[in-house]
Parts: sequence; C-alpha cells; structure tokens
Amino acid sequence: MLGEALKGHLDLLLLSILADRPAHGYAVIESLRNRSGGTFDLPEGTIYPALHRLERQGLLRSSWSEDSARRKRIYQLTAKGQQTLAKRQAEWQIFSNAVNATVGS
Amino acid sequence: MRQNQIQSYLRKLERHLWLRGLADQNDLAEIESHLLEAMEQALDQGLTVEEAERQALERFGDLETIVSSFEKEKINLMQKMLLALAILTGVCIAFVDSRPTWDDTGITAGAMLLSSGLFTLLGYRRPWLIALAIGLWTPIYETYLSRHFAMPQVILFPLFILLIPLLGGYAGWVVHLGIRKTFYPV
Repeated sequence: MLGEALKGHLDLLLLSILADRPAHGYAVIESLRNRSGGTFDLPEGTIYPALHRLERQGLLRSSWSEDSARRKRIYQLTAKGQQTLAKRQAEWQIFSNAVNATVGS
Repeated sequence: MRQNQIQSYLRKLERHLWLRGLADQNDLAEIESHLLEAMEQALDQGLTVEEAERQALERFGDLETIVSSFEKEKINLMQKMLLALAILTGVCIAFVDSRPTWDDTGITAGAMLLSSGLFTLLGYRRPWLIALAIGLWTPIYETYLSRHFAMPQVILFPLFILLIPLLGGYAGWVVHLGIRKTFYPV
C-alpha cells in the first residue's frame, strides 16, 4: 500500500530532492531513502523512467558529468520545474492538512 | 569476470527494452553507472564481489519490474510518435495514389498492408487505429477528387479499402506478440 501511495507522489518527491542541488540518479535515491528514514525504499531502477519523463516534460534537465571516475547523468530543476514544484508543494499542503484533519493527527 | 552478473543483467535489460522499442544507449549507460556505484559501495562495506553484485541488482529491481516501469513511462510518447508517423504515411500513400500518372492499385494496397503491419510490429497497440490512420486518407481523397458522393458507395468504398490496412495491422500485431512471447515471456 505504501508503494502505491508513493507512486502517486513520486514526482513531487523527486522535484523536492533536486530542488536542493543537482544530483545523479543514485544520489537522488539515497536522498529519498535517507530523508524518509528508509520508508521510501522502492526498487532503485524505477526512478529512472520517472526522471526521464520529468525531463521530457521540461521540469528537469540533464547533462553528463565526467568529473569522477565514472560518467554520471546529473539532473537539475529547470525554471518550469521550480514553478511546478512550488505549485505541487502548495497542493500537497492542502491535501495533507485535509487528510490529517479527517483521520485525526 | 568482476562485473559478470551486472553485465548479464544489462544485456538482458537491453534486449527486453529493445524488443519493446524502448532501448536507449544513454539510459543503459546511466543504469550501468548506477549499478557499478552501488556495487562499489557494497564492496566498501566489506561484501564480496558476488554479494556486492547481488545486492546492487536486488536493490535496483528485477527485470520485470524495471522493464514495466520503463514501458509505463515511455510507452505513451512512443505510441503518439508511431500514430503520427502512421498518419503521415497514410497521407503520403494517398497523395501518390492520387497522381494522374499513378495507376498501380496493387502497389498502393501493398504499401498500406506493409506499413500498417510495420507499425504494429514496432509495438503500436491498437491495430484498428493504425488501419484508420493509414487507410482512411486514400478513399477520402479519391472520393473528393472524383466528386462521387452517392450513397452507399461513399461509405462502402472506404470500408473496403480499410480491410487492407486492418489485415496488415493485425498481422503485424500477431507477429509482435509472437516475438515477445518467444523472447521475453514476462
């Protein structure tokens, strides 16, 4: 059930993580796991199609980094991505407040 | 030898994505980079090479899960592109067929049959829509040029023409399913 709930909010989570700093997929997954205290521990490979979709939608842009020993695809938020993130954060706030008020927090 | 399991996984993933028309070398390079980084981190934690590879792959997700997640995210874009190409193909066939110097119905029918079959073979999931996208333009254009709007020919003629791309579309789809079932029974 948690996995299904996570899928519905994956875009918001990915955009939020990348809002802090550009990162490659592996770092994004580690942040997701660490920030959630291990709760969001989905199969790591499933975030790549989501990142690619966000890039196609113009919310992210990627570039290949050759700095380290291995090539890494670094993702960062675009201006459109920042606007979308702000909008989705506001929507999430309203939604989570309403859920908390209904189920009792 | 060191990256045996990972390389084997990558080869299988590439083949499965290719069969669905979703393979992209940049995506695969990114996945390889991820798996090698995960493996190195596991090695730093004291795991053996085999254990590190196994852990990296387990955390990444089994093939079925990963392939279906790529399919889910990318399929809509691919389907739209194939449909747009099918419409363009149908318009081109209609244009060539309408030329006064063109008098080979067999080639027109063959082009419809093969192109509709090709699009469903490549993975377009609705053969009937491909048949419409390819086969509708020729009878519409021909009816418009000939100015014969009498019923029921104006309805029956397109339906008759559409049988050809319908046949091609469903034949291509059957072959596509056969290939998937043979090489990738997920």
